[in-house]
Parts: sequence; structure tokens; C-alpha cells
Amino acid sequence: MFSKVHSAALNGLEAYLVRVEADISDGMPQLLMVGYLSSEVREAGDRVRTALRNTGIVLPPKRITVNLAPAGIRKAGSRFDLPVAAAILAALEKIPGDSLKDIMLTGELSLSGQVLPVPGILALVEAARDGGIRRCIVPEQNVAEGAVLDEMEVIGVSSLAQLIELLRHPDQAVRVRVDTSRLLENQDYTGEGDFAQVNGQAVVRRAAEVAAAGMHNLLMIGPPGAGKTMIAKRIAGILPPVSLEEALEMTKIYSVAGLLPEHTSLLVGRPFRAPHHTVTPEALAGGGRVPSPGEISLSSGGILFLDEFPEFKRSALEILRQPLEERRVCISRTAGTYIFPAKCMLVAAMNPCACGYYPDRSRCTCTEQEVGRYLGKISRPLLDRIDICAEVPGISYEELTKKRENESSAQIRRRVEAAHRMQQERYEGLPIHFNAYLNGNETERFCPLGKKEQRLLKNAFTKLNLSARAYYKIIKTARTIADLEQEKRILEQHLLEAIRYRLPEGAYWGKDA
Amino acid sequence: MREQEGGMFQEMHGRDAMEAYWHWLCSSLVGEPGLLWRLVDQYGTPKEVFCAGEEELKKRFPRSPKGIAGLCAKRREWDFVREREALRRKKIAFVSCEHPAYPQRLHAVPQKPGGLFVRGDLPKEASPSIAIVGARACSAYGRSAALWFGRELAREGVQIISGMAAGIDGFGHQGALEAEGRTFGVLGGGVDICYPEFHRGLYMRLEREGGLLSEYPPGTRPLRHLFPQRNRIISGLCDGVLIIEAKAKSGSLITADLALEQGRDVYAVPGRLEDPLSVGCNNLILQGAGIALSPAQILEEMGITPKFVGKNQGSGKIALEKAEDIVYSCLGLQAKNPEELSAEAKLPLVEVLRILTSLELQGYAKEIYKNNYIRVL
Repeated sequence: MFSKVHSAALNGLEAYLVRVEADISDGMPQLLMVGYLSSEVREAGDRVRTALRNTGIVLPPKRITVNLAPAGIRKAGSRFDLPVAAAILAALEKIPGDSLKDIMLTGELSLSGQVLPVPGILALVEAARDGGIRRCIVPEQNVAEGAVLDEMEVIGVSSLAQLIELLRHPDQAVRVRVDTSRLLENQDYTGEGDFAQVNGQAVVRRAAEVAAAGMHNLLMIGPPGAGKTMIAKRIAGILPPVSLEEALEMTKIYSVAGLLPEHTSLLVGRPFRAPHHTVTPEALAGGGRVPSPGEISLSSGGILFLDEFPEFKRSALEILRQPLEERRVCISRTAGTYIFPAKCMLVAAMNPCACGYYPDRSRCTCTEQEVGRYLGKISRPLLDRIDICAEVPGISYEELTKKRENESSAQIRRRVEAAHRMQQERYEGLPIHFNAYLNGNETERFCPLGKKEQRLLKNAFTKLNLSARAYYKIIKTARTIADLEQEKRILEQHLLEAIRYRLPEGAYWGKDA
Repeated sequence: MREQEGGMFQEMHGRDAMEAYWHWLCSSLVGEPGLLWRLVDQYGTPKEVFCAGEEELKKRFPRSPKGIAGLCAKRREWDFVREREALRRKKIAFVSCEHPAYPQRLHAVPQKPGGLFVRGDLPKEASPSIAIVGARACSAYGRSAALWFGRELAREGVQIISGMAAGIDGFGHQGALEAEGRTFGVLGGGVDICYPEFHRGLYMRLEREGGLLSEYPPGTRPLRHLFPQRNRIISGLCDGVLIIEAKAKSGSLITADLALEQGRDVYAVPGRLEDPLSVGCNNLILQGAGIALSPAQILEEMGITPKFVGKNQGSGKIALEKAEDIVYSCLGLQAKNPEELSAEAKLPLVEVLRILTSLELQGYAKEIYKNNYIRVL
């Protein structure tokens, strides 16, 4: 007897449908697994056999062949246990054969017959939808995640026995529903701390607001203890709200990485990732024999915070260049190319020199060369990808202890949200979410300048020795500043402020010869 | 070797020959001006020194065996024609102290250099000269002061002399170059060696637009013990020394002492009391050095009528908008950040940020490092 059922396999963030076929025939009693399988898939046979027996179904002494098609692509992971079991059950006629029609199954089995959760559910369910399948059976712990896709009927099972029951009586299925719009409305912004706790630092507060409104990359420079880390952690709390499209992508990344907490449906908080400066290039960009997303992808849609920027390994930092430009990571392996999104906002913090106090010469003990060497650890091409640079001066005792009403994150976020709406309207129907994503052509299209403004920029370009990259960065930043003021056109004052946030030119601060 | 010299004597006459012998003597005695002048005093001319026997030299100068040995070793391998060609190839001129082009001011220096190796020009005799020296690890305040004095003095035609070191020296040169003035670097090594290396850009501009001077032959490594000696040339070449930022023990104070010995004026830029970089300067003022408050005041004390300085001082003379004027008046030589300015000017921070850019574009303010601004006078 022959039977087949659909399942899906992961390839990076994308999944593709796999047909699991089972056939029972006379011959030497054995369970044969074929279809270019990795060892964990091959082991599914033993798991399924034992799980079935512990559910009360003993396999007959016959030759059982299981094939995973297409047989030309290598399949990995433990998510084929459940479909293999279902296919064998159908081949044994323990369940009606047509009950498996137009169903996608995925899940791992324990020997006792329990169904265990698997990573990447959202991507798998999406592949099923794209393949024209409406119904998915997934592990109970993953059902909330799969049910995010509204048009899909996602059902959770916790044991093999339950699966059999469900397939025998398909009308008894309990479909789980997730109200994504309510989830998105009630986004949780608490994050870590509130801007109300930050005393002083007016320049950085403003720079952080502008950066958050347009998702511009931000570099903070200042002496130790000035509050760079404190501010960085609070930026996550003033970012614009997450759209469904972004939330789905973020959830998919976390799910594939196996980092999505059980029973979570949709990630609606923007991630904040702060890898330590000893991080390896692979951990930062993603890697492994079967590549998994790295920090830069895990922070996609949110903040990648690199504290002590120059202390990172050069090789790790330089790997950021291409992802920051293309907003995705491409990893090539013999098995294929894996693409992970990298739409993160880079927030970097650094001291101005090794001792941390330059240019305060009464405290800094570094020579000019040492300062130059320290700053030289970050290459120009990488700096060029940072739109906004702000100095975080050391804070005085009076400022630190002063009790005063600082603006709270909620107040700042209101302005950021308004600016975000301006951007949404402007880029409607385009794959651009934020001003920072504009490329050169798009900048010229969406950020036209008046005569006066052009004159100002021309003046600044020659007087301040701007580079072509800096030119576009200034316009993009000015666009965000204008958005914050709900201004349709970029005006002189916006450019003047944007120029303030440019990166220091020349080899290092204070050198202009 | 003797035959070769015979050729030399036929080829070179009078001044050329004299210069060649001085070239040899200066190249042989690096960092030993004392011995050089004792030799010349003893023998009369470098040529006589060249011809003196080795044993005789050793007998007459028993206390400098190393110097004499070096001298004799150099003499054995010295090829006048080759050395002269080598200088020409490197575009370096040699001017001995008997040459008319030798800076007259240096004649007053005790143990003056026997000759100078020059790339670019020598300072003009008729123009006033000021040396700007100070700490290598300078503060933003010193940096802006050095740029300001360098620029304003050079604009009035004062030649700026300094040592091309990191910090104040470099900024003094840079200020003068900004004003398209003349400025000269006296190096502590050969003039073909750029030290410190990161001053490569400045070095090339000095060569083109001013001059690089050294008493040491090309190829001499810039060694630590040569720098104090070099300072006597810096003070010797100028009419006055301006010291901007010096710690309690600083090489700049050696220059100040030498300048006083040579009868030059010494000025010091006053600094804040608690600042270690100000101790040296404030001590100098205590000891009676002139206080340097502005380029105009220095010019006045030197008896130069300013043509440009003070033209755009005082806020009333600049056509600025009201808010810009307020921020401008809050700016000073001491760098301030936008937050301080916002508090002082009682303007919203965002507006201050915008005004600062505007002032910078109009040339009234300068961001000397990230988020720190000074007034441009």
C-alpha cells in the first residue's frame, strides 16, 4: 500500500515543500529511509517505529520504504518524524488515506509518542500556504506561531495518539486563531529603562531621537561612564511601532534560530542585541555548516548595539560592511546560498582613545598617535555607513544628581511615531520602511531640495570637505529631521542640523591638515 | 684619495671650496657643536681641520676621542663631488655660517650651527619672525590658540618658526599656512626625514610654501638628544618666542631659556590655574616673560602696525542674525559643547545646533573636534 503526505524543509529563512511517501510491500522486514537524508532524518525511522509501538501500533514484519521527495535536495533536521509516522500509518491503513490530502505535517517524536516542538514553524507554514495547502498540523507548543498566518488552518498535536484521533475525525480539529492586529496594537515598549532616567546629555538625546525616527545608524563617542550604554538600551524603547510584515520577518528569524520562546505567536517588540566585543565573525554575521542567523540578523528590525566598538575584532567588524549596505546577509555553502535579512539599526559606542578621556588633556594620557591608532581600528568604509555621530560628554556631579523632569521615552516615541507615519505615507507600496534605507537614486527622488537648500549644501560641501557618501547621509538625516517636525519639504534648518551629526572627517578628531 | 682631492682643489675655488669643507665638517660632527667650534678656533678654517693629521687631532683633543674618531673616519671615505651631487639629487641646499645667505640672526647664537641644510627657503632677514612652541600633547585650548596666533601673525607678514613637532608646533605652522604666510620648520633630524611621520602633509607643505631647516646632515635619525640642541636654532632664528602650553618640565622651557640667553623676547599664553599644561607658561609669566593676550598685542609690542588683525573683532561689526549673534558671543577660545552653549545662550538645543552649523559655514565658528566649538576671530 502506498501513501504520501506533505511536510516542509528549511533552507535559511525560506522553506520548501517535501513530499513524504511510504510504501509497504512484502520482503525482508525492515524500515528503509531514502531521499538524500542527513543522519538525523535517517534516525527518524527508529524513533517512529518505537513511538508507534508505545502508542499501541506494532509495525508488521514487512518491507517499509519511506522516501522524501524531491530526492535531489539534502534534508536535515528532526521535523520529519511526524510526517513519516503519518505516512506509515496511512500505508498501514490505520488512518484513512485521504485524510492526509492537502495537509502539511511537521514535528519531532519522542520514543513515548509525544510530539516535540521544532524550530522554523512560521517559515514552514508559509511554504505550505505558497504551495496551496490550507491545513497544517504542528506540535502543540508551536501552534501559536503557525497560526499567525490568518488564512491558514493550524492545528496543534501533543502526541501520536492525538494525531491518529485527529486524522480519523478531521471535523473535530480545533483551529487556533491569533489576532495579529491586536498584538500589534498592544506593543510592549518597556524595554530596559526610560529616557526620563537620563540626566543631561541633550545632544545625544536629540541624536538618538533622530536616529530612531529614521532607523539611522548611530555612533556615540564619549569618555567611560558618560552614559553611552544607558542611552543605547533606551533607544529600543523609542523606536517606531512594528508592522505586521516586520513582525513576521522577525518571528521567522527567531524561530529558525530556535530562539522563539514556546507558545509565542508573534514577536512584536523590536529586538535589542548587544554581543560582547569578543564575538566571532560567524556569530555576528551568521554561519555554521548549515548556516543559522547571526547577531546582525537576530537584531533585524531592531538594534544591534556594539559597545566598545574599536575593541571588536577587525575581521568581525568588516564583515558588517556588506550587510549594512544591502540590509541582508548572504552565506554561500556547497548546499546552496542562504539569505538572512539584516535590517538592523547599528548603534555603536566607543571611547575617543584608549584611556577614554581625549580630548580632555588634563586627564588623557594618550599621545596624538595613540589616539589616531585607536580610532584607526575602525575603517573608513565602516564609518561611512553610519549616518549620525554624537559626542557623549562626561557628566558633572550636579547634572548627575539633579532631580528634574526629563522627557520620558513615551513622549519622545510620540514624535517618532508621527515621523514614522510621514515615512509610511511617502514610501507606500515600496519596500522602503525608513529614510535610512534610501539609496542614492531614491534619495534624489524622495528628498528634493529647494534652491536655497541646494546653495547651503553646496557651500557646506566645499567648506567642510564632505564626501559623496556624507552628502547623501546629510540629506537622508535632514529628511528624518523634517519628518519629526511634520514638514513636507526639507528646509535649511533641517540641513543645518543634519550637518551637525556628520562623522568627523580626516584621520581622527581634531586633525584637519 | 690624495689625487682625488687634488682634482677637487682644481675644480672648486673660493667660496665653493669653503662650503664643501664646511659641509664635510658639519656632516662629521652630528650633535657636537662644541667640538666643532673648538676645532675651528684651533685651526682657523674647516679646510685646515681636514688637512690636520689624525694623531695630531687626537693629541690636541684628548677629551673628545669619539668625536675625533668619527671625524677621521668620515674624512677617509669623504668624496666631495659625490656628496655635493647627493645633496643636489635630494634637492637640499647647504649654507655654511660663512655664506652670505646664512641667517644673520643665528650669528648671535652661542655655538651656532656650522651650516644649515635647507629644503625650500630660508627665512627672510628683513621680515620679523616669531617662534611658536609648546606641548606636544596639547589641549583644545592650546590648539586653537596656536592656530590663531599662527594665522594672525603670519597674515601680518611675520614668519612663523617652529619645530614641526606634534601638538602646538604643528598647529602654529598650520595656522600660518592657513593665512598663506611664511613658516619654517627646524627639524631635529635630517631635512629629508619627516618626523613625526603623521605630519607628512605638513612637511610637504612646509617644503613648498616655507622651508625646512636642520643643522644635521640628510639621513640623520631624529634622536631624542638632538632636540634640545635644535631648540637653540628655533630661538636663534626669531625675534621673539611665543610659548603656548607647557608642563612644569617641558622642552619648550629650554627654548625659552635659550631665547633669553640670546636676547630674544619671550611671550607666554596664560592658562587656567589647575591645568597641568598651563604650569610652565604661568611660571614663565611669573618670572617676567611677556604675557601674550592676542596677536594684535604681540604685533604692537614688536612695533608692527596691524593691517588685518582686529578687523572682524567685536560682535557689532559682523552682520549676523540676532540668535546667531548670541551664540557667537558665547563662543570663545576654550572649546564648548552645544549643551553648554544652549544653557548660556538660553536657546533650545536644536536651534543652537543649527546656528553652529550656520556660523561654521560662514567661517565664524569651528568644530575642533566632535561637538566642541570655538570662535574664529
